[in-house]
Amino acid sequence: MPTPTSIPVVDGLFDVQDGAPALVGAKCTACGTHYFPRRARCSNPACNGAEAAPVRLGPRGVLYSWSVQAYRPPPLFGMDPWAPYAIGLVDLPEGVRVMAMLTGAPPEAFQIGSPMQLRLEPLRVDADGREVLTWKFAPVAEHVA
Amino acid sequence: MRPVYVLGVGAHPWGKFPETPQVQLAAHALGAALRDAGLGWRDLGGLVAASSRFEGGLGWGLHANELLQSVAELGIPTLNVGGGCAAGGIAVHSTALMIASGQCEIAAAVGAERMPKGFIPRPPGTKDDPTDSDYLRWVAMGATNPVYWALEARRRMHEFGTTEETYAAASVLMHRNAVGNPLARYRAECTVAEVLASPVVASPLRLLELCAVSDGAAAVILGTESAARRLGVPLVRVAGYATATGSFGDPATRIPTISTNPVAGAPHTSEVATAARRAMAMAGLGPEDVDLVELADNSVWQVLAWPEMLGFCEPGQADWMLTHGEFDLDGELPVNPSGGFLSFGEATTAQGLLQVCELAWQLRGQATGRQVPGAKVGMSAILGLGANGASIVLQA
Repeated sequence: MPTPTSIPVVDGLFDVQDGAPALVGAKCTACGTHYFPRRARCSNPACNGAEAAPVRLGPRGVLYSWSVQAYRPPPLFGMDPWAPYAIGLVDLPEGVRVMAMLTGAPPEAFQIGSPMQLRLEPLRVDADGREVLTWKFAPVAEHVA
Repeated sequence: MRPVYVLGVGAHPWGKFPETPQVQLAAHALGAALRDAGLGWRDLGGLVAASSRFEGGLGWGLHANELLQSVAELGIPTLNVGGGCAAGGIAVHSTALMIASGQCEIAAAVGAERMPKGFIPRPPGTKDDPTDSDYLRWVAMGATNPVYWALEARRRMHEFGTTEETYAAASVLMHRNAVGNPLARYRAECTVAEVLASPVVASPLRLLELCAVSDGAAAVILGTESAARRLGVPLVRVAGYATATGSFGDPATRIPTISTNPVAGAPHTSEVATAARRAMAMAGLGPEDVDLVELADNSVWQVLAWPEMLGFCEPGQADWMLTHGEFDLDGELPVNPSGGFLSFGEATTAQGLLQVCELAWQLRGQATGRQVPGAKVGMSAILGLGANGASIVLQA
């Protein structure tokens, strides 16, 4: 769980168990489709509105695509200090493709097809001195050029 | 269901008009369409508004009732349609249904938008809501709209070898077409070198490869065949009109979601592909019959990917078609003879109506300066936030 010195940027999208982080999603109780974030029902028409139950996802995946944001997004995104950063799409083995900030390499150095590992990192430090954490993916260590 | 015809079209130029209220932009566009048709406000039997996102209608977006109460209190039935940026196309579909069903003889669709500057933000006054994907994509990772298109653009480079120069050439084509369009906001030509010298916004996409945001308004008046003949307007039939939503398994990561569940073989951008397929089927036509297409080029990626998605060419073939002039005004499949979103800047809900206006001008031979020779069948295709798609097929 986030320590008293850190909080998640949004509740319920990721957690930590035995020191290992994971994204929290959902899995359809009928067809097995995985979703992120959690949702109440499956949207596969074949499942006729079946329920989806919470499940942990990842923490590894494969990089599907990436981009470097060169301009600062509007203030709802509280990154401090700000610098251009990479965002990517990572294919998780459960069959869900998730969007995430990328880390662990210079922004222009990511490669489609790279194995990636989930990390929780601070976006900023809030007024109470706590780190505000979001999820990111980093190249698996032995694959960094 | 009886046949539906275009009686008149009209638009306000695209640009920035901080002194002109949205309702006035709408009145200007609909007034222009009425003059085009030889009609007055009191000839309208119904009005559909593409409901805007950022102002108007007591906080609910531009509403047809609001427009009528300010210009012509006719008491006629109205409809206000959502669907994000697809609302303009959806509005034409709804208007066509009003005519085809026998409810109205003459009805219009109108859209007007005034956009805030810069990255399109959440609508004013929306609360922080962790169950709203459009909140999550901002707060958790700052995913702007251009990033979504940039991710597709880079993936396409990986899958098909699309080059930076080919992306830049798509921008060059759009801007060249707009030289012949007095309604466009950006009417200067550019070169591949100039596009590649413009700053990167979200790599690999650059400033001149992304559409700006603009204020604008457009209107389309539809009616029965007898109304069209009585008015003596060129006979342009709404041969196909369809809307659709997203299909399960679509691999596209659509704005503003933060994930997708791809299923092998499921169509990409399904909300638009399905709408286009339905519209063509309704018209009894195939992609080979279409003489021009107005598609939603929010970025140069769509100029390449959408013709493939719409069935006009094989996956990966669009690069060749662009660089060999087949998307030009005199090519095999003219793409966005208007100049597209890249030359207009997007006025979200009005854009789908402007597409249909352009189809009408082209099929009537009135697109001076950007005329597609011998245009008989035109198709529009547009996408809206929240998995909305619409497609209109006009036939002369």
